[in-house]
Amino acid sequence: MAAGVFTGRRARRAALTASAGLGLGFILLPLLLVMWLAFFRQEIPSFPPQGYTLRWFAAVPANRSFASGFLLSVQVSVVATFIGVALAVPASLALVRGRLPLKPVMNTLLMLPLVVPGVVLGAAIYVGELETELATEWPVLGSVTGLIAAHTLIVIPWAVRLVTASLSTLNPVVEEAAKNLGATPWVTFRRVTLPAIRPGLVAGALFGFVTSFGNLEASLFLVGPGQTTLPIAILQYLAWKIDPTVAAVSLLQIVVIAVAMLITDRFVKLSQVV
Amino acid sequence: MTRAARKAGAAGLIAPATLVVALGLLLPLGLLFRYSLNRFVPGEFMVDALTVENYIRFFTDPFYTTVLWRTVRIAAIVTVICLVMGFPLAYVLARTQSRFKNLLLMAVVLPLFVGNAVRAAGWMVAFGSRGVLNASLMGLGVISTPIDIMFTETAVIIGITAVNLPFMVLSLQSVIEGIDRSVEEAAFNLGAPPRLMLWRVLLPLAMPGVLAGGILTFILGMNAYATPVLIGGPRFQTMGPLVYGQFIEQNNWPFGATVAFVLMAATLVLTSLSNILVHRRLHR
Repeated sequence: MAAGVFTGRRARRAALTASAGLGLGFILLPLLLVMWLAFFRQEIPSFPPQGYTLRWFAAVPANRSFASGFLLSVQVSVVATFIGVALAVPASLALVRGRLPLKPVMNTLLMLPLVVPGVVLGAAIYVGELETELATEWPVLGSVTGLIAAHTLIVIPWAVRLVTASLSTLNPVVEEAAKNLGATPWVTFRRVTLPAIRPGLVAGALFGFVTSFGNLEASLFLVGPGQTTLPIAILQYLAWKIDPTVAAVSLLQIVVIAVAMLITDRFVKLSQVV
Repeated sequence: MTRAARKAGAAGLIAPATLVVALGLLLPLGLLFRYSLNRFVPGEFMVDALTVENYIRFFTDPFYTTVLWRTVRIAAIVTVICLVMGFPLAYVLARTQSRFKNLLLMAVVLPLFVGNAVRAAGWMVAFGSRGVLNASLMGLGVISTPIDIMFTETAVIIGITAVNLPFMVLSLQSVIEGIDRSVEEAAFNLGAPPRLMLWRVLLPLAMPGVLAGGILTFILGMNAYATPVLIGGPRFQTMGPLVYGQFIEQNNWPFGATVAFVLMAATLVLTSLSNILVHRRLHR
């Protein structure tokens, strides 16, 4: 009897672990298949592979749309992350420490770019930049500046979310002590607050960067003729065909993002972020 | 510092970011809605008007209502599959004492940041006529000719499910972590079989997570873009690609704006309805 209960329990545990593994496998399977394809010797993705090679990786930099897409993506995401974080840090300070009317409304507004669907976000920013261009004759639509502006909007909610989370764990008594000892607000911020919220800041910047780097829908509306970001280049290539070259590009992207996540994990535990 | 000065200081700190979002997104959303009331005249692009004829056209043309219905159906099916597949994984992640917990969590989170196009590519590798799935099934002798999965609704549902599953798992996991383990043990000690414990104890307590994860998954399913475009193929229409097609390819801004607002409104109405229904059942 006791042995029966015991095996029943073990069987249930095994079933639970197996179904959890099934879920995890389902999440990871497409990534693993793409990474596998990157090493195929033949160009057509037919199975089983006829052999393995690294030559597709060598071909990646020679592909103009991937190379220029990667450069544009890095450029746009880096600049947008800097601007977005620079806007988000003071806003987070005001949200957590300030006495403001309509705080929830402001918070909702700052989260808006995360809530609005990707295609609607793209269409709205397209219209906004179009009207700006019509009003000022400044050709912002289709320019890199216009793209950076849109990506700044994408970075802001992530940065605000992570910096406010970090700030709310910091006891305000510490900052008040600095002020009582004669520190100006700026010195208090530089010497006390900033070092304390550094993990949240780094995580916010990295999450903002990664989301901006991977953004497809909004960028699709805003790139100029002949311009592509890396996700757009991958989409357009895949709409045409799938082969080891695009798989190699994808693998490189996965590696970059995995490294960014590992760095983030050193600063803040992922479980507290997502 | 006086209270007034503090207030002014805080307002000054938050002003730049809020202004950027208000001018960069909120105002354009208003403009987009205004566009949806304009008229599209072929050859002349957009003509100023104040009409709801775009909305009437959307809801009277069977092509567009079919696209809306297909999108809602796919999002709903994906949400249910995500819930069933995500719960065990979320439970194990929440309860595990393993030192690899963070690594497991990263395995769930990482795919979120690897664009949807790349993940769709993975399924393209699997579903092709000589892809992994057909090759293995034929190798096992289950089928003799390759089955066409690529460019079907099933393939799109599988693709979007894999994309949305991490969101469901994370929403459930954070709630399950907050449920005291002793509650489960109490149910077992009182003689409840595992199934009863799950239905009567764990699931009701995890309901906020189920609701949050379900709503998030549904919204993302409604708005999917890369997955239906790549796995569904050029003839497979859902709302996301339809917005882009009308806006950029057809240059029909009024109708593109209309589709965008129908998509947002449908998502909002359906998620609020399910929210109300679940709350009513919980607080009966």
